[in-house]
Amino acid sequence: MALRSIWNGTIAFAGVFVPIKVHSATEDRSVHFHEVHVDDGARIEHRRICSKDGKEVPYKEIVKGYEVSEGKFVVLDDDEVKAAAGERSRLIELEEFVRAAQIDPVMFVKTYYLGSQDKGKEAYRLLHDALDKTDRAGIARWVFHNREYLVAVRALGDVLAMHTMRFHDELVPAKDLEIPSPSRKPSKRELDMAGQLLESLHATFDATKFEDTYRERLLEYIQAKAKGKLDELPRRTQAQDPDDLMAALEASLAGNG
Amino acid sequence: MARALWTGSLSFGLVNVPVQIVSAVRDLDLHFRQLHDEDKAPVETQRWCSEEDKEVPYEAITRSYELDGGKAVMISDEDLEAVEPRKTRTIDIDQFVDLADVNPIYFDHPYWLVPAGEDEGAARAYRLLLGVMEQTDRAALGQFVMRAKEYLAIVRARDGALALTTMRFHDEVRPTRDVPHASGKSTKPSRKELEAAAALIEALGADWAPERYEDRYRKRLQKIVAKKRKGQTIDVPTGGDDQPEAVPDLMAALKDALEAARR
Repeated sequence: MALRSIWNGTIAFAGVFVPIKVHSATEDRSVHFHEVHVDDGARIEHRRICSKDGKEVPYKEIVKGYEVSEGKFVVLDDDEVKAAAGERSRLIELEEFVRAAQIDPVMFVKTYYLGSQDKGKEAYRLLHDALDKTDRAGIARWVFHNREYLVAVRALGDVLAMHTMRFHDELVPAKDLEIPSPSRKPSKRELDMAGQLLESLHATFDATKFEDTYRERLLEYIQAKAKGKLDELPRRTQAQDPDDLMAALEASLAGNG
Repeated sequence: MARALWTGSLSFGLVNVPVQIVSAVRDLDLHFRQLHDEDKAPVETQRWCSEEDKEVPYEAITRSYELDGGKAVMISDEDLEAVEPRKTRTIDIDQFVDLADVNPIYFDHPYWLVPAGEDEGAARAYRLLLGVMEQTDRAALGQFVMRAKEYLAIVRARDGALALTTMRFHDEVRPTRDVPHASGKSTKPSRKELEAAAALIEALGADWAPERYEDRYRKRLQKIVAKKRKGQTIDVPTGGDDQPEAVPDLMAALKDALEAARR
């Protein structure tokens, strides 16, 4: 299945241009619902109503208001908001290259894959291989949907990946946390023992070992309800009362039986 | 300090660390209200029934799930409660992994963990786990329940505190095999080209210093609002949509760039 691209443009590093397409690297698989009217099951529509004249407002008559004091707005139209994106550009210009491992993952918001285009495959491969060889990530600005993002471009397997990043002032620094110091520090013996415990639980990271069991249960429940077979669902998907000691005992016994 | 979003304990082996979760990010975006252009009055969202053409009170709204084939099934709050995970108050750590092995694509939302309560025991247990994790490059993986949803989380030491990040599940990360790339033999760069490109990257190398990058979008938007408030007009930039041609002679371009970078 070919991936749909959401943007296409060019990566520039120094004088070299690499034509690319941007694809989402992640997809939200949570279960989504529609809002419906409980009486007739009909879809709910969200209508925009003017608070002054009570009439519905068509989309093109909507402007943005920045509230400067209670009920007082500075009004901006779409073009004025768009102006904040800066120069509209199809270029992602790698300005400098940092050690990829230096960027704390807390900076990353969303990841995209950069796909090659039919033209310029050699340049794509060259940038990929050079980033891979140097273990560096290129830092750039990316204008997408009228907003400017800070991005890091790096090699990931055979492809180029691009992370959008948070800005430093969007992070809560550790010094703002209130972490009380115990009157007695952990002893060396305690640290050694905790270290051994940590070592005994060491494993190789494998994302496939973790499933979204909540999503699975919810989808199972929905299918059962649609077929009118809710009573046939295994017990664990029924409501569980944490105070129900008997049920907990039964479940434990069944598990050992 | 930030508000606690969750209170419970982190448990590994038989060790329990009472902790609270607080957010590790803050929203600095400018937020706008929708206004009616004509009278500059705020616009309100009302929920209307698409069939009956009348407003629907909040209590009369439920959710429905669309099955394959267009059939829909209504799901009430009680239905959701029936599948809700058991509300446990622990982050169960079942393994420690090498942080370098975890692809950052999996990282979702970042939080901080702080000791819960004034109790000396909580502070000591926290220090102990932090201390031991600071000595390794390992991160703890575990699952927990927050806001009626089950999360996979990674916990590690960062800047003298324990950081927790929720993780995406493996089936939410797309495989790279469907992404058009250029791994074949025909596109393999020559040794000279690769060395020149690597040298160029090193010449443009810098230490990662996040405070050097500011949110220019936010700054510009703040300026635009301030200008507009004073009744000034806003220049709307145009154009800049053209794309440069791919460079046919990579080696020549690299040489020029290297010379420029070294000058």
